[in-house]
Amino acid sequence: MRRLFRNRILGATVVALALVAAACGSGEDSDTEGPTIVVGSTNFGEQEILGEIFAQALENAGYSVETKFQLGTREVVNPALKSGEIDLIAEYTGTLLTFEGGTSSTDSDQTHDDLVTVLEGQGLTALEYAPAQDKNGFVVTAATASEYGLSNVSDLAGQNGNLVLGGPPECPNREFCLIGLGSVYGLDFASFKPLDVGGPLTVAALDGGEIDVGLLFTSDGVIAAKGYVLLEDDKLLQPAENIVPVIRTSVLDEYDSDLSDLLNDVVAEITTAELSELNKRFGLDAEDADALAKEWLADKGF
Amino acid sequence: MIEFLGDVAVWFTEHWDGDNGYLMRLWNTIRLSALATLTAAMIAIPTGALLGHYRRFGVSAVAVVNIGRALPSFGIIALALPITIRIASHVPDGVPIFGSGLGFFPAFVALFALALPPIFTNTFTGVREVDPGTVEAARGMGLTEGKILRSVEIPLASPVIIAGLRISAVQVVATSPLAALVAYGGLGRFIVDGFSIQDNVQIFAGALLVALLAILTEMSFGWLERRLVPGPLQLSAQDSPTRKLRRRSREISLPIPP
Repeated sequence: MRRLFRNRILGATVVALALVAAACGSGEDSDTEGPTIVVGSTNFGEQEILGEIFAQALENAGYSVETKFQLGTREVVNPALKSGEIDLIAEYTGTLLTFEGGTSSTDSDQTHDDLVTVLEGQGLTALEYAPAQDKNGFVVTAATASEYGLSNVSDLAGQNGNLVLGGPPECPNREFCLIGLGSVYGLDFASFKPLDVGGPLTVAALDGGEIDVGLLFTSDGVIAAKGYVLLEDDKLLQPAENIVPVIRTSVLDEYDSDLSDLLNDVVAEITTAELSELNKRFGLDAEDADALAKEWLADKGF
Repeated sequence: MIEFLGDVAVWFTEHWDGDNGYLMRLWNTIRLSALATLTAAMIAIPTGALLGHYRRFGVSAVAVVNIGRALPSFGIIALALPITIRIASHVPDGVPIFGSGLGFFPAFVALFALALPPIFTNTFTGVREVDPGTVEAARGMGLTEGKILRSVEIPLASPVIIAGLRISAVQVVATSPLAALVAYGGLGRFIVDGFSIQDNVQIFAGALLVALLAILTEMSFGWLERRLVPGPLQLSAQDSPTRKLRRRSREISLPIPP
């Protein structure tokens, strides 16, 4: 009974909102007039920073924006996006594609194309993807990198049987980890040390010299903070996880192409290294996401 | 079920050697547990005995030491980790026990805190409960306080002290798998890693090894008790109904029951 009542209120609200939206739409002709765009985020720092970047870029351009951050995991946020509780969110191509039942690949273009197709039927649009990726990455300390001359993952082959790899306990059984490092790169480590999933144990083990190569997330702020060298995945072992703005198609249709152009321009500027730096300042230096986003946008001229 | 046990048996034939084999991890677990229990004993037995002898501050000391039992070991490990990492980053390279502050060090802190209360409480209570008449007699014979403690009170309290050690050691061994959460290479690795790859055979084998080690620990303290404690004081001698029956049957020369 109560649920029914709530649904009725929700229905009434939706109708009211639609009327207001229609009234606004017909009244003004300016290209930034339209329904308020609600920018959401999941429950970790990087998401809040990206959400702020999107929200402030839109606000600066004259759009009416509302933010709803730290909503929870993708299991919570994805339905909220589909139901229209939020309109825009920063997503990750590979993970979202897998979440929607597709199969991600190591090719960024391919993964993005597949994602666009899958989302079309859901009333969602994936805009252009960013160069920045948040995925598994193999890192070494600056000292290790200069000692062995490492910049790509394939460079590790020169030290076969010599280095210790550290990462999540499941790594030896995973295609994207030890198995793939062997079969795709032909790498052979002296031993593997089970630690955690891109967390403090891996960082401490790298710093303490217990491991030479560690598995972290590519945009992790600790990489910037500690000056680690993120080895380039030059033989494409990891599935693509480019950052991509996903927006409700109905909202996109309310405006002209300036909206998507703006978001595409913003996203094109976000690189993995810059994101790692932003994450570091947010997570380790405790700076505010909105201040970080403001500074970043000003730097890029938005 | 039979098939599963078969898989476990096969696992035992395949994973015994190397740095990640169960022999090395068994040794690592024994090393960690023994050091934690021994360090706790070296601190708890002298202080517990002294406080028991003078019958002072004992109750408050027991209360303080029991904090180690009230705090969950998992919490202590998690709290100790950032501290040990920080300490390790200030320790020059080459000082062996600190390493990178991972693994051994934080686990040792937690297991030490867990081992302390039973040893301390039992030592304190054991020494305090020694018959005052006996102590008075020793004093009358001209024994110094230190001599009374060493030659009268501690030997008389020894069954209780060893029972405390046994409780601590078994608890420490049973809790030691937690060390895997801070990257220690003990038996807990099989459980934690097995969980992350959903390998039930490995989890079961790891748990079995921990349980066997705990039982072995319990048994070896029983043996220690028989070796160290004067015969008539042995808890097992006092408690075991079979022994009582055997003794009585000897006295009245009846056939000895098996």
